[in-house]
Amino acid sequence: MVAPMGRFTMIFKIQGEGKRWKNYNFGRVKISLSKETFSQISPSEFFYRNRDLAGFSNPTRSLYTSVREFVENALDACDQKKILPDIHMSIKAVDPEQSDPKPYVLTVKDNGPGIDPKHVPHAFGTVLYGSKFGLKQARGMFGLGATMAILYGQITTNKPVTVRSCADGKMSDEFVMLLDIQKNKPVILKHNTKEASKTGLSVSIVLEGDYSKAGSKIRDYVSQTSLITPYASITFEDPSGEKFHYPRIVKEMPPPPTIIKSHPHGVDVETIRRMIVDTHYQIPAVDNKMIDKVKKELGLQKKNLTTKDMLERAQKRWSDLSRPVRTIVAVMSFLNVDFDGLQKIRIDDIDVANKKITYWDFGTSQSHAIELDPESPYYKQLASTIQGDTLLTFLTKRFQRVGPTTAEKFCEFAKFKPERRIGSMTNEELVRLADALQKFDDFLAPDPSCLAPLGEEPLSKGIMKFFNPEFASVLQRNASAYSGFPFVVEMGIAYGGDIPTAGLKVYRFANRIPLLYDEGSDVVLKIVNEMDWSRYKVKGDPPLVIVSHICSTRIPYKTVGKENVADRPELERELKNALQYLARKLAVHMSRKGAADMEKKRANLYAKYVPLISQFATELSGKKKEPNYKRLITMGSEIEEQV
Amino acid sequence: MQKHGLNIYDNLDQGKFPQFVIPSRSVNNIVYDKKLRQYILGNANAVRSSRNMSQLRSYTQLAWLAFFVNRLVREGKSSTLRDIYYSSQAFSIDFEDQPESDNIIVDLEAVTLSPREEFHIFPEERSSVFGDLTIEYTVPGYEGKRMNLSDHPDGYLIGPSLSSAELVDTSAELVIAIEKGGLFTRFVEEKVHKKFKSIIVDTAGQAPRSTRNLLRRLNQEMGLPVVILADGDVYGEHIAMVIKSGSANAAHLRELTVPDAKWLGVWATDIEKYKLPTIPMTESDIKRIYDLQKDPRYQGRKLEETIGGLSKT
Repeated sequence: MVAPMGRFTMIFKIQGEGKRWKNYNFGRVKISLSKETFSQISPSEFFYRNRDLAGFSNPTRSLYTSVREFVENALDACDQKKILPDIHMSIKAVDPEQSDPKPYVLTVKDNGPGIDPKHVPHAFGTVLYGSKFGLKQARGMFGLGATMAILYGQITTNKPVTVRSCADGKMSDEFVMLLDIQKNKPVILKHNTKEASKTGLSVSIVLEGDYSKAGSKIRDYVSQTSLITPYASITFEDPSGEKFHYPRIVKEMPPPPTIIKSHPHGVDVETIRRMIVDTHYQIPAVDNKMIDKVKKELGLQKKNLTTKDMLERAQKRWSDLSRPVRTIVAVMSFLNVDFDGLQKIRIDDIDVANKKITYWDFGTSQSHAIELDPESPYYKQLASTIQGDTLLTFLTKRFQRVGPTTAEKFCEFAKFKPERRIGSMTNEELVRLADALQKFDDFLAPDPSCLAPLGEEPLSKGIMKFFNPEFASVLQRNASAYSGFPFVVEMGIAYGGDIPTAGLKVYRFANRIPLLYDEGSDVVLKIVNEMDWSRYKVKGDPPLVIVSHICSTRIPYKTVGKENVADRPELERELKNALQYLARKLAVHMSRKGAADMEKKRANLYAKYVPLISQFATELSGKKKEPNYKRLITMGSEIEEQV
Repeated sequence: MQKHGLNIYDNLDQGKFPQFVIPSRSVNNIVYDKKLRQYILGNANAVRSSRNMSQLRSYTQLAWLAFFVNRLVREGKSSTLRDIYYSSQAFSIDFEDQPESDNIIVDLEAVTLSPREEFHIFPEERSSVFGDLTIEYTVPGYEGKRMNLSDHPDGYLIGPSLSSAELVDTSAELVIAIEKGGLFTRFVEEKVHKKFKSIIVDTAGQAPRSTRNLLRRLNQEMGLPVVILADGDVYGEHIAMVIKSGSANAAHLRELTVPDAKWLGVWATDIEKYKLPTIPMTESDIKRIYDLQKDPRYQGRKLEETIGGLSKT
């Protein structure tokens, strides 16, 4: 019953009064908590107890993970607002004399949109508070990793986090906060405001780390991030004060991804259940505000009509009425009450199956039940409100690229009536529905508009700048999908130039994040190693670099470490096609290079040997003057290769 | 040599790529001449052209060698195979290794149909001669000087000066060629040269060309019979065979064989006859037997039987 969701697909809804199961995906762990369990353990508490699962297992890994989380959040924030990122990161030892592991101050500053000061305490002081919960490609989830890093810092050093945010470009707010782990609440120690000139966010934490061990990975991470984010300017100052600056290479940002609906192949029972809850309209609370709304929509602000007149009026304007208003009107008609009467009761239950409505009368302090007339035009309205949409509407409205025709075909396939109300489905039926959604083959391929590949030009420029190769080629494949999750493969190949002749090196990226660990078992490496490079005129230990970027709403990571991608056949095929295409381009370059080299070599050979022959012949023949051999050199270099 | 030089010169001057025509030394073009009783080259020729990029380098090497030996001969100087290899470097002629330069020397021999000794190129001397033989030097500075080869018990190196010397007089009635240096020294100590009135030659394994040429001259000019004392194995037998019939490598050359030389020593048949102790043959020894059996030089002779005999042991 647990949704197998990845880091990038989490559809998370914080429901304080959730009636159903909650399903959390904390990046690396999946847990289902019933309401009862949930009340006993806060998310902060959970993370505190399971911090090693989130990449905070030791000082080395924790420092690296914290860097990643903050940098990725900064980049994501800029991406969302289409701001060319300008990221400054620094790691400073609190006491340089101390030996590792020791406390470090990690500061990451961006020029992003900033966070509204009133959200800052919650965004950084509460685990699982965030806005990035939609179906689209992003690097990370705000509120998960970053807060985890803050939590880790607090646990190891007992120092607060300092957040400076400017969202309006005028005033900047600085918060110094601690996390109350048990209550999952921020504790603000200091808050001050000052004038600022531009938007941005700066987060500074003190955490125990081991830079002597994590340093090389962090430097690799920063440099490779700059390769896959050529539109960003990234500066990193390490504990020794050395600065690594990666300037912006391209000024255009790739188009941002759009948030889209789920693909039928990509949902499971739990997701469907949550979607139904969303469509399932609650009976509106009847308060003054609601009554005003009803009156306004019926044009009754000034007049007070009888119930009967009011219903007549509602009939006429029915199509213009909002859904809650229709529901209220339907209830009024069944109970035959006016607005005053409506305020004196509380609707407890509308049982469509038994055609009964139960309400509590405040006046008499008694519960009443009234039969519903199925012939009444209002019955249908109430039924649809309580039971949700028909399956047909549900499919077309809630899923991407599903039209009425496909939906009907699906209903037939799944043996459900199209007019079946989804709110009335039993647990078993939901399982059957989810199962059928997975198995039905006639859905269109997933919509890739939720993906944000880098694009060929920026990738190419990044590679040129990064490696300064003699040859480079890039390719962005068309979108493809596995299990309902769209993905795009981008790949680049670079040869020669400044690349050392030390054999093939693969740079792996997923959703613009460098993957640095567990290279051996990765699908990209598998594909690269399976290539017969000699067929592409590449021999020995070539100065060859391959840059692979997989974009997906859900990268099929092999392990919880999220460093290597599993070998899904669809993904494998795309990678292979991309690599073969690029290898062919390289082969063309290699033969051209070979031909040019050959011509050069030929010219050199004749220039070297013909004068020698002339010299020897002159002495041998007893002549004094050398023959006129110059044109032979030119002729020699022009002779076509004789095979 | 000058003719070749002129030819190249004119070609260059006319904007033509010069080339050498070399009798092909490929296996297909080496045939056995029964009349001459040695290998000779057939009629096939190979062209080495300076137009062909893959041949340009070796063409230049060949042109250089012609130029260099021309100087050697003109100035009356000598050189060795190894010295040629090193000398090339002064003229930015890059031989990869000595076998490559040795090969170019054989090419020049084939082009001119003359042995390298005529170009004053000699192998490193290792073969020696001892016995009552008076020679007269012809090399510059020693012209007319005579010498008797029994004066020095270690024997005399068969080098450039000895090879070019005139053979004047001898009291010997026989030439004994010995495969091994140790046995050569023993023969001198045992005064074999006196007991058998012989001239003793150490071939030091496979006889170098200068030694083969000397053996031939002793046989032809001085009328001495030549006997070869070689080991009773396939290698010893072949040493004797090369002295008698020449080698495939020198198929383009004449005057290096002693067809009437006799192979003495232990024969394979003797091993069975006298029940002599033997060292077991290795696989490569056995392979060598089959190779020799196919060799035309061994066809229809007594030697062939001995090969058969060897193969039994």
